[in-house]
Amino acid sequence: MTEVKLDRIGKKYGAVEAVQQFDLTIREGEFLVLLGPSGCGKSTTLRMIAGLESITSGDLTIGGARMNDVDPKDRGVAMVFQNYALYPHKSVFDNMAMALKLQKVPTAEIEERVGRTAELLGLTDYLQRKPAALSGGQRQRVAIGRAIVRTPKVFLFDEPLSNLDAKLRVKMRMELQELHDRLGATSVYVTHDQVEAMTLADRIVIMNGGVVAQVGTPREVYDHPADEFVAGFIGSPAMNFLDLARDDTGRWVSDCGNLALPALPADTGSRSRVRLGVRPEHIEVLPEAPGPAPLTYPARVLLAELLGADALLSLGIGETRLLVRVGGADHPVQGAHLAIRLNPAQLHVFDIDTGRALPRSAAEVPPR
Amino acid sequence: MTKRPRFGLYALVILSVVVSFLPIIWLVLTSLKTTEGIYAWPPQYLPDPFTLKNYINIFTNSPELLLYVLNSFIVALGCTVVALSFGGMAGYALSRLGMRRAGVLMVFILAVSMFPPVSLLPSLFQTFLNLGLLNTYTGLIIAHTGLFLPFTVWMLASYFATLPPEIEEAARMDGMGFFRIFWSIVIPLSWPGFVATGLIVFIFSWNEFPLALVLMTQNAMRTAPVGISLYPGEYAFPWETISTATVIAIVPVLIITAIFQKQIVGGLTAGAGK
Ligand SMILES: Nc1ncnc2c1ncn2[C@@H]1O[C@H](COP(=O)(O)OP(=O)(O)OP(=O)(O)O)[C@@H](O)[C@H]1O
Ligand SMILES: [Mg+2]
Repeated sequence: MTEVKLDRIGKKYGAVEAVQQFDLTIREGEFLVLLGPSGCGKSTTLRMIAGLESITSGDLTIGGARMNDVDPKDRGVAMVFQNYALYPHKSVFDNMAMALKLQKVPTAEIEERVGRTAELLGLTDYLQRKPAALSGGQRQRVAIGRAIVRTPKVFLFDEPLSNLDAKLRVKMRMELQELHDRLGATSVYVTHDQVEAMTLADRIVIMNGGVVAQVGTPREVYDHPADEFVAGFIGSPAMNFLDLARDDTGRWVSDCGNLALPALPADTGSRSRVRLGVRPEHIEVLPEAPGPAPLTYPARVLLAELLGADALLSLGIGETRLLVRVGGADHPVQGAHLAIRLNPAQLHVFDIDTGRALPRSAAEVPPR
Repeated sequence: MTKRPRFGLYALVILSVVVSFLPIIWLVLTSLKTTEGIYAWPPQYLPDPFTLKNYINIFTNSPELLLYVLNSFIVALGCTVVALSFGGMAGYALSRLGMRRAGVLMVFILAVSMFPPVSLLPSLFQTFLNLGLLNTYTGLIIAHTGLFLPFTVWMLASYFATLPPEIEEAARMDGMGFFRIFWSIVIPLSWPGFVATGLIVFIFSWNEFPLALVLMTQNAMRTAPVGISLYPGEYAFPWETISTATVIAIVPVLIITAIFQKQIVGGLTAGAGK
């Protein structure tokens, strides 16, 4: 059982709390992605698991054994670094064989294991080369190979693809996915690229300022963001937010007055103001309003940007601005008048002060 | 970057090259002149007649010059090896092993190196006398190492600081201990830094005068700068002998510098860019 358990782990650098109360159990064979903006403590968390950074508070257990004070090499973990961190003066073979040599594995077995790994990663022809004579993608494969030959219980990746160009990144991402399917080892993967996170992860941990904001499957964090930060971080382009106030008749009205909703699909309690979130891809665009209809509002196209398959429209509804994603073919042009329709099932409601998502209330959803 | 040649810059470079090389060129020219040529008025610029007599004379009349050069070589080499070994380990510990108060210690090391060596002479002489280290290679190597170790520590520590730390971290995860990381990862990767630092220390030691003068009192143990400075006779100043001896004393340093030139340039510019 190689379950990795982080029990209220924290890291302080002097007065700076880089990571606070990180509490999570990573399941055997799970691919866990740590996602968050720069400086939120992803690398610090990973490095505490690796043993490269001491743990200030809390307990780390790997496969049931407490690891806080265990040397990195004895934790059964292998790490792939963002800048590859290969030994520049050693050949690809020696780079991959180093850990085994240090473990005094017999030479024949080292050659067999390195050979097998090189084959798996398509590196067989490069074994005698120095890293300087390899392309970026090949170097990254060597770095991954160096981790694989050790057959670690846990793989750690710190933004392994961020030094590669966009095309190669997609290719390597798929290779990583296949590799994980094949090896099935518990993996922790740090990235700030949400596409990588969504595609690779069994579960995503979204961090913000050293604190875990939400843990969930890609589906869960996209469909049910726990707070405004997660809602704005996941999804591209980012979710639209607008503040609504409850008027005398119980309707929720935007500050400019042009957007009014008879009810919200959430348990608003006694609040008189809330923040509404709606994703650009969840706003339906209709030809100009055929007449008054529920949750349908007239809008004007302020800016239209064609991305290829899709187009992004910046719409004005009175003073309110909304970003909408539509199909790229025959998209509405700048200055066009049209109407939008909101789908209550795809609206998110947040507390203005805490940013927490308000629980859904199915009962209040009006018919479409 | 503009491709237009920048004449001002070139003029400046040529000027500084001429200014720094003129004494050496003059020295070489002097060593190729006859005694009359040296004292001729108006001064001769090019040797006329050109002669190698001085070189022949020096090897026949004062064969101890070769001994001085050998002494200098042994001391400078010994000092370089010892300074690089200790400086490397100290510099690595100070720049990389997360020592507490490493910065304070570095400043302290720098401060110590600011004592003028002459002020150390009386006590050093007495100590070396008591320890029987006067007129020994070991003695002068120790003295020179003490003198140049702070510089070595600083040079190497700043070189280590330019290495990406992830390589050492990867080595830790692979299972290497600190000493092994230092030996088989850090030293090979810092080779240019070691060569550049070593060369500078070698030249410092080669040229060092006060300690060499006081700690090596027997003629057979003198280093080149001291030995050559003691040439002046009672009645005349033998310019041709001194300049010839000096040229000979420069040659080993020139050869070593030429051999390691590539590494020096790499070492002195490393860390300036990725
Ligand atoms: N050695 C250190 N001393 C002091 N503060 C540090 C140290 N290392 C990291 N920090 C701080 O801890 C916080 C978390 O850093 P960390 O490297 O984990 O961020 P990250 O999420 O990996 O960011 P990025 O995406 O930029 O890599 C940051 O605010 C950083 O400034
Ligand atoms: Mg990071």
